[in-house]
Amino acid sequence: MSIIAQRYTGSSIKRSEDLRILTGSGHYIDDVRLPGMLHAAFVRSPFAHARISSVEVSAAREVPGVVAVLTGAELEALIVPGPGAAGIFSGGITLPSFSQLATDKVRLVGDPVVLVVAESRYVAEDACELVEVDYEELPSVITEQQALDPDGPPIFEDLGSNVLNRTEIATFGDVEGAFARADRVVSAHLRQHRHQNVPMEGRGIACSYDPESGELTVYSANQGVQTARRLLAQALDVPIEKVRVLSDDIGGSFGLKMGASREEIAVAAAARHVGRPVRWIEDRTENLTASGQAREESFDVEAAVTNEGDILGLRVKMTIDTGAYPGMGGMLPRMVQNMLPGPYRIGALSFESTAIITNKATYVAYRGPWASETWVRERTIDLIAKELGLEPLAVRLRNVVTRGEPPLAMVTGRSLAGVTARESLERVSAMVDFGAFRERQAEARAQGRYLGLGLATYIEAAPGPRQPQGGGIGGPEQIRMRLEDDGTVSVFTAQMPHGQSHQTTFAQVAADEFGVPFEQVRVVVGDSSQVPQGFGTGGSRAAVMAGGASLHGARALKKRVQEVGSHLFEAAVEDMLISDGVLSVQGVPARAMSLAEVAKAAHEPGRLPEDVSGDIEVTTAFDGGEGGWSGGSHAAIVEVDTETGLVRIERYLVAEDCGALINPAIVEGQVRGGVAQGIGAVLLERSAYDPESGQFLASTFMDYLLPTAWEIPRLEIEHLETVPLDADVNFRGVGEGGMIIAPPTLCNAIEDALAPFAARVTEQHLPPNRILELIGAILSDAGEPR
Amino acid sequence: MKPAPFEYRAPESLDEALALVEELGEDARPLAGGQSLIPLLSFRLARPTCLVDLAGVPELQSIRIDDGRLVIGAMVREREAERDAKVEASAPLLACALPLIGHPAIRSRGTIGGSLAHSDPAAELPAAAVALEAELIARSRTRGERTIPAADFFTGFLSTALEPDELLTEIRIMRQSPGTGCAFEEVARRHGDFAMVGAAAMVRVEDDRITEARLVLTGVSDVPVRALDAEATLTAAPFTDEVLAEAAEQTAGSLSPASDIHGSSAYRRHVAGVLVRRAVRAATQRAGVAA
Repeated sequence: MSIIAQRYTGSSIKRSEDLRILTGSGHYIDDVRLPGMLHAAFVRSPFAHARISSVEVSAAREVPGVVAVLTGAELEALIVPGPGAAGIFSGGITLPSFSQLATDKVRLVGDPVVLVVAESRYVAEDACELVEVDYEELPSVITEQQALDPDGPPIFEDLGSNVLNRTEIATFGDVEGAFARADRVVSAHLRQHRHQNVPMEGRGIACSYDPESGELTVYSANQGVQTARRLLAQALDVPIEKVRVLSDDIGGSFGLKMGASREEIAVAAAARHVGRPVRWIEDRTENLTASGQAREESFDVEAAVTNEGDILGLRVKMTIDTGAYPGMGGMLPRMVQNMLPGPYRIGALSFESTAIITNKATYVAYRGPWASETWVRERTIDLIAKELGLEPLAVRLRNVVTRGEPPLAMVTGRSLAGVTARESLERVSAMVDFGAFRERQAEARAQGRYLGLGLATYIEAAPGPRQPQGGGIGGPEQIRMRLEDDGTVSVFTAQMPHGQSHQTTFAQVAADEFGVPFEQVRVVVGDSSQVPQGFGTGGSRAAVMAGGASLHGARALKKRVQEVGSHLFEAAVEDMLISDGVLSVQGVPARAMSLAEVAKAAHEPGRLPEDVSGDIEVTTAFDGGEGGWSGGSHAAIVEVDTETGLVRIERYLVAEDCGALINPAIVEGQVRGGVAQGIGAVLLERSAYDPESGQFLASTFMDYLLPTAWEIPRLEIEHLETVPLDADVNFRGVGEGGMIIAPPTLCNAIEDALAPFAARVTEQHLPPNRILELIGAILSDAGEPR
Repeated sequence: MKPAPFEYRAPESLDEALALVEELGEDARPLAGGQSLIPLLSFRLARPTCLVDLAGVPELQSIRIDDGRLVIGAMVREREAERDAKVEASAPLLACALPLIGHPAIRSRGTIGGSLAHSDPAAELPAAAVALEAELIARSRTRGERTIPAADFFTGFLSTALEPDELLTEIRIMRQSPGTGCAFEEVARRHGDFAMVGAAAMVRVEDDRITEARLVLTGVSDVPVRALDAEATLTAAPFTDEVLAEAAEQTAGSLSPASDIHGSSAYRRHVAGVLVRRAVRAATQRAGVAA
């Protein structure tokens, strides 16, 4: 029998990425140096909305060191027009037509207009200053109201209005009946504010084109090399087999670096045009202004409830501000709709949505893009509790599903098999000692101190229970595995880690399943010529889809080795054991070979029968198996200084279920990072625009405030025992959860703290200024940029 | 975010530095730590033709006690001043203000003179200098030295009384006398950010009465604002909660701060009152009086 001394899966082994990244030896786009490499910079629009009447670039072309200056029209002649990355996330709706660099008009502050390629970035920026663009300013469309005004100027003429898409009212369950039976209807207008992915490393690309071979080599900070390859091949009209995309270490992304952005397509085309490598490193102002933003959505919610706190049904109207150029905004409403009921017995839902276009940055994927379903639901539950005079925890426990009891699915369709929301709510309220807190809160209030406790619960389909149409977002995940001649197991994956530690976690899974030491597994990422086809990293798919593929791939590879071994040893396949990197014959320990010896022997002529290949390599695909839910409940205790509006987080607690843990330390790191971004969203981060001029007001880190270590409390994290649905693979995605659940947790805590002031929190962003307005300490200034 | 071209000069003596700024005039900018200037260059919001780096000018580097005054050279790093026992003993208000500037990395490069001469209305040191009634010493090659009271030094947003051919060489502060307490309170969005509002308070207390008060606000105007009416209120009657509340209200009522994305005018006014209360109360307690 096989004895495995140690299982890597489930243990917090040190990350194999640590040494490289923590000692500053990581290799990022800015570290790419190609012979003869040039540097790109963009001339960008200073206006939110303007017609371009002329572009004069001759002075810029004269600057010593400038190699090329490309206008929008000149670039269009070098590429195949198309939506580029916008096509990935279109969600099947009609997209407006647009160019990669602005030609006829600019549609946001920071819209790229001209590309300058020079010997250094300094020279490129000097030349940018000499480009003269004549703009004819148009009224900007910044607010929801402006976008919905039928007389407003259409940002894309071919759409004829600033409505990108409307979805008809979709009805699930007996909505009319639910509202007829209700004792009352709790309604609210809830708003999520615009904020954004702010990776430590901005976007970046370096491209090199060899006119002899026609090969385009691209170094890109990118979540998926195969997706980027496909889009760049398309845009440049280069046969896809001539395009190679490489990604190395990436300083974060959170959904931003997917495919090929407008700037990236422009840089690739410029490299081919000038015949020298060109690199573009997005600077922080470009990143904040023009890379993309997210989350700006508003909701009209009506909840049909009984006096006891049963939530019978919801009516929801969603408006999403997708910004100027198409991104992910158009496809989100459907995702929000389907997830809105969450792990609750909410028996009826009607949902409709409007996606609008404004003169702001493109709506991009940002960690848990559909998160508003959780924010809206969890905020609404607290508003219901407040209106009924009930404890929010009691309302949650009253409505949350119990495993094995009906309903077994959300009213919108998805099975709730294995959901542990009730368990996580009970666990987190025990961790926080709910009863003791209420006493302490009362004592503090008597002294003029305002403490609050907030709770929230979410589930994430990462990948969700098996559906008739198959796996999670993006379909099955392929993996390629090979036994190398030195006995190493190479794992080739289309996943592209940018902080998720895939090189550790996939190796843990593969090492256990195959029977080699962890150190003997090498996870290869970021080279389109080596890794299999696949969408890349996103949608919380890595742990389950690629983790599962690692397991099944290792199993298949092991079978291949056993098969080869049975020939080498002339023994039965069933008697071949692999343990600790050694292949042996069961019961005959003396008959053993190291994996390196096996690999070498397999290639020696005559050692294997002619019909047995000596290449020990497999490619397998995993469809998510039986799947299952990720989820959990968070709790926060805050203290609000009602004189200054500052919020201090006293405790932050997490009871989470992401299935079987591959590496608990990495899971906790993902939870911490997500929660930190959620805290930032509520207290600090806002992509603010002036509603009149459309100017972007948060283009530096003095105005776009990220949380620092000072603002993030120590998290108390407990892991729930999960409900396995699959025979083998019960890992579930955990990257997005923290960011999905922290905002409602914190908003609920703040509202609870402000209960003596009867404050009603209906927006997600609660900076000190807003807190003082909510409690009536100061008047809200209608003229303030919001 | 790359600066426009500029020249870089690194004088090795004060005379050499003064000669350079005189020769280069308004096109030159002294580099005194660079914690504000370098970002301005990168954004191309400042485009000097030449930077005159004062880091190597030996005359500007010391902290000393001279004739009953604490004297700090313009190029003394904020972190060095923060850790200096003479500063803590002679000018406790400065010792309160220094840790509030940015983060240790910023204070390790940023200088006392650099911050004062930059005259950012949200910065801590200009307010502290006004509250301390410090003397700022300016020097030019041709006209020699002149003394500018802190109250006259800050003339507007990022502008001072310094002439283009002058350098700020040092700051002189009367040593704090016994019976005096001070505090610097501020509200910032995050630890280490420029404050939305700050309040510096110094009070001298005799027999449970404030006999002298100096109160200066940051972040509420284009220069540090001294709250003279509130000072008068605090010294006019025995110190009580009511007197303090009145002083706070007076201060808030007299201000019309600008709004930005971090806080509205109403917010800043409100918080100014709160901070006056907190700062005066803390200063009074440190002076030995429990209000």
